[in-house]
Amino acid sequence: MSVLARPIGGALAAIVGQEAVVDDRAACASAAVDGLAPRWIVRPASLDEVSRVLALAWDAELAVVPRGGGHALELGHPPSRLDLVLDLRRLDHVVEYNPDDLTVTVEAGATMEALTARVGARRQLLPLDPGGVERRTLGGLAATNASGPLRARYGTLRDLLLGVRFVQADGVVTWGGAKVVKSVSGYDVPKLMVGALGTLGVLGELTLRLHPAPPFEATWLAAFKDLAAAQAFIARLVDSTVQPNRVELLNRAALGACGAGDAPAAVAVSIATAEEAVRAQGQMVSRFAREAGATLLPLDASFWTAYGRATTPEGAIALAVGTLVTLVGETAAETERAVAAAGPAAAITGSATLGSLRATFPTVEPRAVRALVERLRALVAPVGGSVIIQRAPAAVRAAVDPWGPLEPDAFALMRGLKDEFDAKRVLNPGRFVGGL
Amino acid sequence: MPLGPGLLDELTRILGPDGLVASEEGRLVYECDMHTFYKGAPDVVALPKSTAEVLAIVRLCRRERVPIVPRGSGTGLIGGAMAPHGGVMIGLNRMTRILEIDLANRSATVQPGLINLWLTRAVQERGWFFAPDPSSQMVSSIGGNVSTNAGGPHCLKYGITANHVLGLELVTGAGEVVRLGGKVADHAGYDLTGVAVGSEGTFGLVTTVTVRLLHTAEAVRTILASFGSIETASEAVSAIIAAGIIPAALEMLDELMIQAINAGTGAAYPKDAGAVLLIELDGPRAEVEAQAERVAAICRERGALDVRVARDEAERALLWKGRKEAAGAVGRLAPTYLLQDAVVPRSRLPEIMRELRAIAERHRVQIANVFHAGDGNLHPLILYDDRNPEELERAKAANEALLHACIAMGGTITGEHGVGLDKVKNLSLQYGDADLNFMARLRGIFDPDRIMNPGKLLPSHPACGEGFRPARPRLPEGAWV
Repeated sequence: MSVLARPIGGALAAIVGQEAVVDDRAACASAAVDGLAPRWIVRPASLDEVSRVLALAWDAELAVVPRGGGHALELGHPPSRLDLVLDLRRLDHVVEYNPDDLTVTVEAGATMEALTARVGARRQLLPLDPGGVERRTLGGLAATNASGPLRARYGTLRDLLLGVRFVQADGVVTWGGAKVVKSVSGYDVPKLMVGALGTLGVLGELTLRLHPAPPFEATWLAAFKDLAAAQAFIARLVDSTVQPNRVELLNRAALGACGAGDAPAAVAVSIATAEEAVRAQGQMVSRFAREAGATLLPLDASFWTAYGRATTPEGAIALAVGTLVTLVGETAAETERAVAAAGPAAAITGSATLGSLRATFPTVEPRAVRALVERLRALVAPVGGSVIIQRAPAAVRAAVDPWGPLEPDAFALMRGLKDEFDAKRVLNPGRFVGGL
Repeated sequence: MPLGPGLLDELTRILGPDGLVASEEGRLVYECDMHTFYKGAPDVVALPKSTAEVLAIVRLCRRERVPIVPRGSGTGLIGGAMAPHGGVMIGLNRMTRILEIDLANRSATVQPGLINLWLTRAVQERGWFFAPDPSSQMVSSIGGNVSTNAGGPHCLKYGITANHVLGLELVTGAGEVVRLGGKVADHAGYDLTGVAVGSEGTFGLVTTVTVRLLHTAEAVRTILASFGSIETASEAVSAIIAAGIIPAALEMLDELMIQAINAGTGAAYPKDAGAVLLIELDGPRAEVEAQAERVAAICRERGALDVRVARDEAERALLWKGRKEAAGAVGRLAPTYLLQDAVVPRSRLPEIMRELRAIAERHRVQIANVFHAGDGNLHPLILYDDRNPEELERAKAANEALLHACIAMGGTITGEHGVGLDKVKNLSLQYGDADLNFMARLRGIFDPDRIMNPGKLLPSHPACGEGFRPARPRLPEGAWV
């Protein structure tokens, strides 16, 4: 313990109360991020406490890792240093819910489950469904820009976050955006905060756009003889008047993991609106499937629960592969081959009409991961695609840049932002792109 | 601030003699945008044809510390594309090419001077469209739409420009060309594309835009419902949303506006109505039919005097005609008007309408209303006679009062037009020192010398000054050793 540790611990306790500061060695070890144990775990109960903790951290140049549910702690580079884990789960209030305006303001530590319980009672929803979303916090979802199949219809948090209250690295509480569904006053600061991994500020409070829950939803599965046939079906769907809720591509391993049969490739489509419109569009989708040599089979709604679980297996490596819509089949096939060359079979899924694929596979040694990630990056580079390691053991992320290369000029601006807003590298040091 | 002859020579070398407008009468054309209140001609207008030319101009101006004002079609409503401090205006109207249309990947890449509607025209026969539809879309440029993050009637369902921009090529105020985002949806790093959209030319100049295109809906239904009062019409709006229906557009006109439209256009809206709701539903046919029935029923339940459903494209155009020509029709009521753009939470519509009436009475002005009711985006038109200076002062006072009223109800000072020069003074109604300071520093990353469109978007507020920092929280005694 350094000379400073004791007075800082006392100061933290003065801010949040003794019971909300943990410095017990065993407890801190269990809160380690990528093997680095913090000296303190601090559990603030208000935005004001977050602000004062960060002001202290700034002055003392402590390295802070903010966390919510802890589902995305394996995203990014291992932190370069760590003193304090800022656990935001006590900031869990729904601050303001305006069902008539379809907006809600929640604290960053509120879970999706809690939010859904509240707005679901009014037949509204925040359409965000990455695997395991129920237990994740809204702050964590926003900081990591997590999304799932519903993005095909509703977009991502970029499209859903209206306003954000955050605490800058030096403790200054800052607001960006608005609490109404439409605003262009000042810069769109919420967009900057989505996916920034808390490196420009700790998210404290989020104002979100809600949507009415559709009255009826149906899901179908079309199985294909190969990924190329699935690609043809997707192309047909894109160039049509069908307005799907979700369009997910699955390879054989993913299909198996969902317990939805055995085929080289499949596409799961859901449509959600008035019942008669769901039926009418279902017929259209069925025709497209037939034209691509497949039969459309109805699936139970519980498929999506199984799907969420299957796409986020514990202990697996997860890659997000961004490519063009026209290349999803080909990219999925190449991803299968690249992972197979390293040993395991990859379960590949993804939002087909957006070109956003996800591959999960059991952990292999870092060198093998690097080889396959480099191979995939080379594949998608010509179209401006990306391969991001969303989850992997620390050793893998130490050996392979989890974010991949960026345009140097764009990165220079990003580094400029980090230098401006967190010159001391207090927030999540080292974890973001280029080691920011 | 007249420019030195050396700078004009260098600009001529970059652009050729026909790439500059330097004459007195030529520059006057560029002295204002559609908010003709604010006038300021640039010292010279540069009309580049390529990113390389834009870059050369920016580097030259940066070296000489000369302000740059970007301009598209000049149809903005906020005093954005005008030069209060003189300097070089960069008109992007010669960069109008469509660089790529890639329907299979649902995107197009265009130059910034391309007119919004031309993009839709280029793809509509194949069943696609570009969603942002500001009323100016026949003349406004996509670069301008990106700069102001423009909206339009149909953004209730489809979102504003930011929701449709995938990538940008930006020449920053620092004199660098950066490529942000792109056709592929996911990128690592900060969402610089997202924050550059709506930056009103204060980060730099957009030289290429990659946008999302959408497939045309299978069916469209347009419904016109008239009501006795704004209050009952507002209740119908709430009931439609509460029924889980998000129409593509949900527009409201008040009594004064209906009279002006009926007198000035061939639209023939119900004469005795206190408010008219124009509701457009689009999507799969069965969905639209089901929702149209439901919407018509809701309107009747809420006391609609009359509900008309357009039976074909001609009838639909007629229903929209009045709405689209509303601003022009107002010319019959008064020589001129102030057009406001502010937002309240949708549920506060009846309340803000009462407040607007009170403001009109208090300041002895007439206010006509045409607005995007679905998202609470108001467009009050404050009528006045510009030959009477006293009347203008009352109009301005009413204008300020209604902005304050919107903020007091939890709203925002602009929903789709932007801040520009016009609302710079109002930004602090909505943001505190820390927030403004954050924005000023954010701008400095892209434009370190503050040469890009100075005086717009960010107020010359203490928080935006160099070195100013809002107070940090107080630390416990003895926290630091």
